[in-house]
Order: sequence, then structure tokens, then C-alpha cells
Amino acid sequence: MTFVDLLFLGFSEAITPANLAFCLLGALLGTLIGVLPGIGPTATIAVLLPITFFLPPLAGIIMLSGIYYGAQYGGSTTAVLVNLPGEASAVVTTLDGYQMARQGRAGAALAVAALGSFFAGTVATFAIAVAGPTLSSFALSFGPAEYVSLMVFGLLAATILASGPVLKAIGMILIGLLLGMVGTDQATGAERLTFGAIELFDGIDFIVIAIGIFGFSEIIANLERTGSEGVKLAPLSRLWPTREDFHNSWAAVLRGTGIGTLLGLLPGGGATLASFSAYSLEKRVSKHPEKFGTGVVEGVAAPEAANNAAAQSSFIPLLTLGIPSNNMMAMMLSAFMIHGITPGPTVLTNQPEIFWGLVASMWIGNLLLVVINLPMIGLWVKLLTVPYRLLYPAILLFCCIGVYSMNNRIFDVILAAGFGLLGYAFRKAKCEPGPLLLGFVLGPLLESNLRRTLLITQGDPSIFVERPISLVMLIATVILLALMILPSFRRTREEAFQEEEA
Amino acid sequence: MTITKTAVLTATLLAAGTGAALADWPTDRPIELIVAFAPGGGTDIMLRTLAPFLETELDAQFPVLNRPGASGEIAYTALSQARPDGYTVSSLNTPGFLTMQIGRKLRYDPADICPIARIVEDPGTFIVQAGSEYKSLTDLVAFAKANPGAVSVGTTGVGTDEHLAMLQLEQAAGIDLTAVPFGGANEAKTALLGGHVAMIGLNVGEYTTSDRSSFRALAQFAEQRSTLAPDLPTAKEQGFDVLMSSERGLAARCDVPEDIRAKLATAVDTALANPEFQEKAKQQALPLSFKSGKDWQADMPARLERFTEIFKMIEGGQ
Repeated sequence: MTFVDLLFLGFSEAITPANLAFCLLGALLGTLIGVLPGIGPTATIAVLLPITFFLPPLAGIIMLSGIYYGAQYGGSTTAVLVNLPGEASAVVTTLDGYQMARQGRAGAALAVAALGSFFAGTVATFAIAVAGPTLSSFALSFGPAEYVSLMVFGLLAATILASGPVLKAIGMILIGLLLGMVGTDQATGAERLTFGAIELFDGIDFIVIAIGIFGFSEIIANLERTGSEGVKLAPLSRLWPTREDFHNSWAAVLRGTGIGTLLGLLPGGGATLASFSAYSLEKRVSKHPEKFGTGVVEGVAAPEAANNAAAQSSFIPLLTLGIPSNNMMAMMLSAFMIHGITPGPTVLTNQPEIFWGLVASMWIGNLLLVVINLPMIGLWVKLLTVPYRLLYPAILLFCCIGVYSMNNRIFDVILAAGFGLLGYAFRKAKCEPGPLLLGFVLGPLLESNLRRTLLITQGDPSIFVERPISLVMLIATVILLALMILPSFRRTREEAFQEEEA
Repeated sequence: MTITKTAVLTATLLAAGTGAALADWPTDRPIELIVAFAPGGGTDIMLRTLAPFLETELDAQFPVLNRPGASGEIAYTALSQARPDGYTVSSLNTPGFLTMQIGRKLRYDPADICPIARIVEDPGTFIVQAGSEYKSLTDLVAFAKANPGAVSVGTTGVGTDEHLAMLQLEQAAGIDLTAVPFGGANEAKTALLGGHVAMIGLNVGEYTTSDRSSFRALAQFAEQRSTLAPDLPTAKEQGFDVLMSSERGLAARCDVPEDIRAKLATAVDTALANPEFQEKAKQQALPLSFKSGKDWQADMPARLERFTEIFKMIEGGQ
């Protein structure tokens, strides 16, 4: 069968009324849980998995994937409107999205996020269809050594996330690394920084930190500022993005899509890493990096495109190799296995209707999501006109429900409250939390992969420069470091010269 | 709300919380099923498949909660700290449950945890890439003899069945291998496919449900060849004394009332006999092997002693 035949087969499978209905249901559910902070797609799918036993395999899988990428759309909504990331991958969207909302451009931010996500979803879906097997070999070439170099690069790039002084950013990264160490050590089973609390055995959940540092501290800060009045928002100027917004964001969307498609392939990182990286890159290449964090549209477009592209492309290792790249995909694997389907190269040849039906449904699902989300923007933005004294208890309630429902324990809620206070202290000290979260995500990956690499090579570090991908990333790290250090070096020299002349 | 109303309400709630618990079991509350491994792993899929059958059997809900980490210690500690009312059960996996009792300070007392029933017994296996130069365990041993430490073996942590099988092979063949811990079987498989480790440990069940065109198994570590892989020679057939199988079942606290544990065990036994479940188990290559909690527990001291010996021999050798 040719590519067109296969695609046609896929669409004919995906367009049946039942499959279409499950696709819509999944997309709607995903949007909903994406909007609700703390309730993530993994938990939702774990709950819904037994239901899919009774569905035909394709219908069940279509619905579950709809939930997954639907959550990426929904997660940006609260991030933009109330500075509360609904999903881990929407954390960076808060940096500029929320500022846009405060300037009365919430509609524009949400529309750019939805359209950027749709574009990215379309591209990544076609990447799966056209180059799935090729891309999966890229994922395989990423061994422990490559991860180490990628994480080193990522940590350095994390300093770019902050708009303040580099020293503060480094401090925040280090705190993030420290928080990432909490829990049971994988290699030895030893406890680290748990202070005897069994709740810390698994380490701290990303959502706990994100909701505490972003959500709770935002509410505290607002209370301090204006009593019960809350945020003073500029009047809503227009609902839709301006021509200028589109002009500024298209390149960011393209870059975000590229980064997201590639990083989504890698086990572990996925959508969160992709959105962080896309934002850092955008800031790096921008002509006005100093404006990031004040409500620039690229700062919304790039990470939103990236997280949606990554959500799609993380299906590639599962579909082509049968190996899930993250917990979400592992749940999807369970959904396949329960129907006796083992994803992998043989499914591509023996049951093409499953693979192509899913790919086609992903594109349809993305289309449905735009159709669902664009008209909702007007509704969402109206939410901002709700008096803050009514809005913030509701936000607090949803945050607490979300955090509690992750592991069904009150400890996490208290921990999140503690991070709220910490986040407030950071605000006062003008330290930005973005680098902290990136350090928290990347640190454990760096550590476990560094150990693996050195175990495999029996302690020989030369592997990092011998392997080409790793070498390229290390060189990129050195260049980035030079770019960061040289300007300030030159400035000091210039200052010195000026002093001499004077 | 008046004070009397409040008092009545409180009293009702208290009564519901204490006295009624045993009488209503298991219909008044969901029974939490703790899985000691990440979603998508062999144990997880097995229990998620089994849960609906237990639900029909007992007319109760069995929500699955994954508590992965530390070879299961996190889950067992959670189980030992749950209330002994029969509303919390957990997966129980050997050898992990036994090996963690050797030379490690635990957060729970293993004597507090009683098996309810064994569901599966699955022999271990070592797999390499399909195109690898190692065609049998003998090839691998020959290479490892010439290059001590150069063969990296992906495991899922310290004291797991893969790790123990590796230690036994080192002992039996007089070779030196390098264990590389991964976050789970899927991470290890990815590393193997990418050629980053030479070999990984899996269970025969996990191997048969993987895409067979990408991997080659070198041996299975059972006394007799598993029904799942009748063509795969055992390590003993190849001249190496390596015996390792992973057993998966359910456990509860020992102070959960005896009749509740018996009811759970019967429910598991009935579910395993259900042809519908057997069909699903076949699709997932689960080597079903029911054993009552009592019998399973009786096996454990001997196995624990054997593992202690392995650990001692290894420590003595270094």
C-alpha cells in the first residue's frame, strides 16, 4: 500500500461515527482536566483505563490519546488567565501569558496558544505518519551519555529563562537541583533529604511545587497588593490577536514545533522539557530578549506549540518500537496490551488500521480542539471580570483538590502551601521560579544518566566527547557559556578603559 | 446547625468509621490496590486486568494506585502503615520482597505483611539485540571472561530479579559483569535497542509480549522450560546454575482479619479460573500459577536463605 492509501485507510477508520465520538469525548475530557490544576492526564487515564476494556481497541486508544493532547490545550488556559499552570508543560506559558492577560490581551494569548498548538499538532502528526520509524531511531541514538550532555546544556540554558541577574538564576537552579534529590536513590535504595517522612519516598511531585510557587504565591501577592480587590486588569481591548501578534509569533511557533517534535521523542523529558527549551530558545534568538516576561506573544506561542508537538511525537517510540517514553505512554501501552495488541514494527505491517487510524484521529482531534477552544476564549476571558474576592477562593479550592487527588494525601497539600510561602519569599527577593523548576526536572535525569554512563564505560569519561551527538551538545554548551560570559567581560574591560581615560 | 445535630452527626460518622467496617466489607468503600511498580509494567498490567474480575467477584471497587520505587519498599511501607481493615492490599513480588530483607534497614517489618495469593510465576531471561553476536549464554560468558566488566547488564535496580540472576551467572561462570540500574523495564529496553547496554534482564512474559523481531533471548532461568517459551533453553541446559523466577501476587497486613484475607484469596482463585480472564492472561503472556497465601508464605524462608547465600558469596568474592 502506498502512503496515500494508508492515510486514506486511517481516515476511513477514524471518521466512523463511533470513533469520531470517542475522539471528541477524549478531547473534551482532556481540555477539562487540562484546565483544572493538578488533575493530570496520567491520573485520568489510569482511572479510565478499565472502561476501555469494553470498547473496541481503536476507539479506546483514540479516546485516551484525545485526553492526553487535549490536556496540553487546556493547560494553557489557567496559566494565561490566573497565572496557574494547569499542567507541568504549561509552566512557562505563565511567564508571558499572564502578563498579556494583565494588559487586557488574554484573548490574544489564548488564541495564539490554540492556533499555535493546532499548527504544531498538525506538523507533529504528519511527522509520525511520514517519518515515524526514522525519528524513532533518533530517539534510540540517545543513550545515557547523550542525556548527560543534553541536561548540562539544558541547565545552562535555564539561566536564560530568568530576566533578572544571572547569579540569582543560578541560585534558583541549585535550589531546584536540591529539591530534585529528595527521595529514594534509584541505584542504592538509600533515602535522601526525606527527613524521615514516608511521603517523601517518591520525591516531591512537580505539580506540588508548580502550584505552590506559582498559584499559591500569586494569590498571596495579590492579597497584599490591593486587599480584596486583587489584580487590576487593563480593560479588554480586543478578543483576537492583532496582525502584529501573528507577525511576531509565526516564527516562534515554527521553532517551538521543531523543538517539541524532537524532544517529545526522548524518554523522560517530553512535553515539559520541550516547552522550557522552546521558551529559552525564543528568548535567545529574539531581538528584544529583555521584553520576555513582560507579555510578549512569542513567549506564549513557542512553548505552547512545543508542548503540543511533543505530546504528539511522544507517541512515536510507542507506536514504532513498542516502548513507551513516559508514564502517559506506559498507560497507553497498557491500553494496547489489554486488547492483545503489542505495538511495534509488526503492528505497522499486520494491523495498519490501528496505527493509521490513530494517526488520523490525532489530526481530527487537534482540529476538534481548535473548534472547541476558539469560541470558548470569549467565555474564559469573561472569567477575569469575576471579582477577585470570589475568584481566588475558587482557585485555591481547585488547586487543593488537584494536589490532594494526585496521591490522595493531605501531606501534599501542606507541602504545596509551604512552597507557596517559599514562592512568596522568592518574589520579595526578586528571584524568578522558572529556573528552579527546570533544575528540578533536569537534575534527577542528569544524575541517573551520569551514573549509568560511568558504569557502562567503567569510569571512563571520554565517552562524552567520543559520541557525536554528545560532543555537539557539549560544544553548544561551551559556545552558550562563552556568549553569556564574554559580553559582561567586555563590559568590565570597557569600564576599566573608561576609568583609565578619565 | 444546632449542637445536637452536630453531635448526632459526629456520632454517626464515628460509628460508621469503626464498628461497621468489618461487617460491611467490602461493599462500603473502595479497596485500594497498591502496585509497587510504574504504570505499564508487567505487574501493573496484570493487576489492572485482574481488578475488574475481583470487582465482580466481591462486588467492590478496586482502584489501582501506583507507588513505584526502591524495588517495592515504598509500596510495602505504605501497606504496612495502612489501617488493617482489609481496604488496602498491595502487589507482592518476589524476589524483591525477600532480597530487600538482606542487609538493608527497612521502614516496615516484613513479618507484618502476609501474602494473600500468588497469581503468576514467570522465569527470568537475559535478552540482547536481535543482531547481536551473542547467540547463547555460552557466547556471552566467553566474551565476558576475556573482557572482565565490559558487558553491561541493564537491570531495574539493586536486588531485583535481573540483578540476582546476573549475580548468579557471575558466580556460576566465574565472570565479572557490570550492572546498570534503569528506572524500569521500558527504559532498559530502549537502552538495549539503542545499543547502550549489551544485555538486559527481563521476564519471559515481558519478552514474549515485546516485539520479537528486535530482541533475542539467551536463556531462561527456570528448572523447566516455561510454557511461554518452549524453544528457549534454560541456563542449566547450557551448563550454568542460574535459577530465578519472579512471582507476583497480592498481600495484605497480617493483622487484617483472617476471614477477610480468605475471602480475597478465594476471589483471586475464582477470577483466575474464569475463562474470560484466562483468555486475557494468554494475550498478555501471563504464566498463571495460583498458590494460596499460606503455601506461598511457607516457600519464602527457603528462598530467602538461598538469596542470602548468593549475596554472601558475592560479598565474599570481592
